[in-house]
Formats: sequence, structure tokens, C-alpha cells
Amino acid sequence: MFSILLPVLVVIIPSQAATPESSLSGLEAMMRNLPSNVKDELAGMTDQQILVYIMSLYFLAPFFLIIPLIASSVIASDSFAGEKERKTIEALLAMPMTDSDLFLGKVLVSFVPSMMVTLISFLIYSAVVDALSFALFNGRLLLPNMVWVLLIFGLAPTVALASIGLTVMISARVRGFREAQQISAVLLIPVLMLIFGQMAGAIVFGPIVVGALVALFAVIDLLVFRIGVKLFGREEIMSKL
Amino acid sequence: MLACLISPSEGSASVGGYEISRESLRIRQMVGILTENPSVYDRLTAYENMDFFAKGYGLSDAQGRRNRIKELLDFFELWERRNDKVATFSRGMRQKLAIARALVHEPPILFLDEPTSGLDPESAKGIRDLMERLSHDEKRTILLCTHRLEDAERLCGRVIIINRGRSVIVGTPEELQNRVAGQSILQVTLRQLNQKILEAVRELRQVREVNVDESTKRLMITVDDIESAAPEVIRSIVYADGMVLSANVVRPSLEEAYLRLVNEGSH
Repeated sequence: MFSILLPVLVVIIPSQAATPESSLSGLEAMMRNLPSNVKDELAGMTDQQILVYIMSLYFLAPFFLIIPLIASSVIASDSFAGEKERKTIEALLAMPMTDSDLFLGKVLVSFVPSMMVTLISFLIYSAVVDALSFALFNGRLLLPNMVWVLLIFGLAPTVALASIGLTVMISARVRGFREAQQISAVLLIPVLMLIFGQMAGAIVFGPIVVGALVALFAVIDLLVFRIGVKLFGREEIMSKL
Repeated sequence: MLACLISPSEGSASVGGYEISRESLRIRQMVGILTENPSVYDRLTAYENMDFFAKGYGLSDAQGRRNRIKELLDFFELWERRNDKVATFSRGMRQKLAIARALVHEPPILFLDEPTSGLDPESAKGIRDLMERLSHDEKRTILLCTHRLEDAERLCGRVIIINRGRSVIVGTPEELQNRVAGQSILQVTLRQLNQKILEAVRELRQVREVNVDESTKRLMITVDDIESAAPEVIRSIVYADGMVLSANVVRPSLEEAYLRLVNEGSH
């Protein structure tokens, strides 16, 4: 729904209606911070094209970081907390698996489906944007471009891993699934800050910014994994039941 | 703690020669455990449950794993239900599946918490027979946690009675029974019971007490030493024209021993 409705709104409405002068004024801050090569590209575009281009390629980009977080939150919150509620944790912890195997397993079982959802959403989004903007841009395909490839295959996975890892850590320490899900909701805040930052023009998801964020979150992922395994404490989990 | 599910607050222990605080992974590899809850996944089928845990315990060969799962599900009469979700199973079926899971990797050591709980009499007997075979024939070590003292009496080589979290006593069932037996009791069933026979028995030096059950014509004779007293008692009954139908030594059951020892430990 997100991948279809939003591009429909941002592509069809501006391309079908006359674009008033004020429609671009809300995007001035963002447009000022666009990479220079993108500014050069915009120079030859009509106001309608600029509006569609900015909204579909830059404005909505950070929202695709929320998709894997939302898609994984239930599974990750349920990872250990759910096993405690359903009284299956004892047999799981009794198995001869290392703490890192257990932790990684629970992370991956959330990560894989959430990234599949993200990828499918991106493919649908790209198809809808390209289909609806094809005529407006005289046959030029807007997506995928390098920024979005970095976003979907670099930033989204690293952000998702960090969030899932932290959620699994929380799940191991609380008594029930609801508790884990409520606490892990705060992990959306950093992503929301990125979204609002882009809307305000403070940052723009260009290749350098996305690349830097990928590197940052990759380091965070490693730290989360190491700390998560260290703090896992499988032999304390049972005593807290 | 011994299965490395909970870490000890203090002290140390070893299982199979491995220290629980330092070598928990090795201990988990050699232990099969049945906990208070069956711990089986409701959303998976019986076969999927077994397959998951078999892989987790290192049974990597697919055909070998399948054969082992079939062997166990056949034994527990669950093979026909192998493709059914465990959520549809009865309590007894879940318990059997959980026991099968504990055995899937053929562990040399088993920790079983109330394995016959929730089972019908036939299945419970099957489990007891299985434990006997595993212990006596296959020489596996089984730590059985049970409130069924008749099971402990029949199956266990050694018994630990734990009262309020503390070990009360450790010993074989016979040692525990002897410890509380004190004086032995000789039970004699007669064809006819009369005063002459009673007086003859009561006059014996070794007889401490005689209790009479008129309805069954049975004498419960408390003596100091059963080996020397029993022939004397039988002879005195025969000399008093009594006819002995049966005679046997009554030992206190493990349940009686347990209750006596626990009460002693509480005071």
C-alpha cells in the first residue's frame, strides 16, 4: 500500500494539475542541500518535473528505512520474550549452541523477512514511480538510481540489523513480548530524526551521506552484536522467569 | 544448574567430568533434558519439532536423523501423528514428544523431571520400562526427579531426598528403608486364629509387639532381629497347632522412609 499510494500521490497529482509557484517553496531548504550534480540536473527541468523528482527520489527515501524496522519489530520482540511466554525457552537454551549462535539466529529470523519486505516494497515503488513518471520525463526512468541502490542494499540492512539486534537484546531481558515491543519502539526515533532532518533540509540522502551512514551503522551493527552476545546471559534468563 | 540452564550462585559441580561453570557447552552436548514444561513448539508438527532439535543437537546426516526420529516417534506411538501440529496434541502426547526430544541425540546422561506426569497408565509403564532399559542395559545415567516414590524405589540405584531445598539424605532405596526400619515386622497369615497361638507368640523373648487383624487372620509381629526371630515365631505357631498359610518380612516402603526422614529433618 505504502509503495503504491505514496508514489501515486507524489507523481500523479503534480503531473496532472498545474503546479503553483508556492508548491516548491516548502522544498527550498532541501533543494539548497542537494548534491551539485543533482542541482545541475534540475536546472533543465520544469517545476512539475522538479516537484515529482524531489518528492519521489529524495523526500520519500528515508521512509524506506522505517519499513524494515516495522516489518521486523514483532518477530524481533517475540524472539526470546515469546519463547518465555510459550514456555519453550528451556529446551532452546538447553541445546549445545553458543550464545552467539543463538543471538545471531534470532536476529536473522527477523532480518531476512524484513529485508524481503523492504526489497519487494522498493521494487513495487520503483515500478510505480517509473510507470507514472514515464511520460512526464519523456521516457526517462527515474529509479533505480545509485542513491536508492545504496539505500536499499546498504543503509536499510545496516539500520535494520542495529534495530533488530537491540530489540533481541531487550527481548532476552524482559518477561513478555508486549514489554519488549513497547520498549523497542523507541528505536524508531533515530530513523524518524533522519526523516525530519531530510524534510527540514538539514541532510539530504545523496551518495556521500548514504555511504557515510552505511559505514556508521555497520560499525554500530558490530558493536550491537558483540555487546548483545556478551550481555546475553543465557543462564540468567531462566532465573528471571 | 547441572544441565547448565541456571548458573549457580556459589559452589561447583561437574557433569560427565566437565565443570558446569566453565564447560557448559560440552555438558549440553551430552545431556538430554526433560523439564517441567514439555517445551515443544505448538506451531510446528511433531516431526518438525524433532527435526529442529535433532539438528540443534548435531545430527547433521539427513537420513540418519530421519531414521532416529522415526525410531523414537514409533516407540512413543506418535509416528502416525508426525505431520500434525503439536497444538492439537493432548498433554500426554506432548509429554511423550518431549521425552523423545530429550533422547534424540542418544545422550549418555538424562535429566528427567516427572517423565510420567500426565501419561495414561500404559504409557507411563512404557516410560518406566524405557528408563529401566536405558539405565540397566544401555548404562545411561538418569537423574530422575519424581514425587512418585514407587518409581524411585523400582528404578533408582541411588536416591536423594531433598527437603526445602536441602539434601536430607542420600543412599540406595534399601539403605533408606533400613535406616527407618528399626525393628523388623514379620507378617504371618494363618488358617485359624486363637488365643493359644497368640499367647505362644507373645511369650517369645524376641517379640516386641503383636498386632492382630481378625478379618484376614493375619499377625503383624514386631521383632528385634528378623533372621533369628522368624524361625522361632513359626515354630511356636506350629507347636500351638496353628497352620501357617504365608509368612513374609514387611519392610517400610520408600514412601514411609521419605516421610519419616523428612519429618526428622524438619525438627
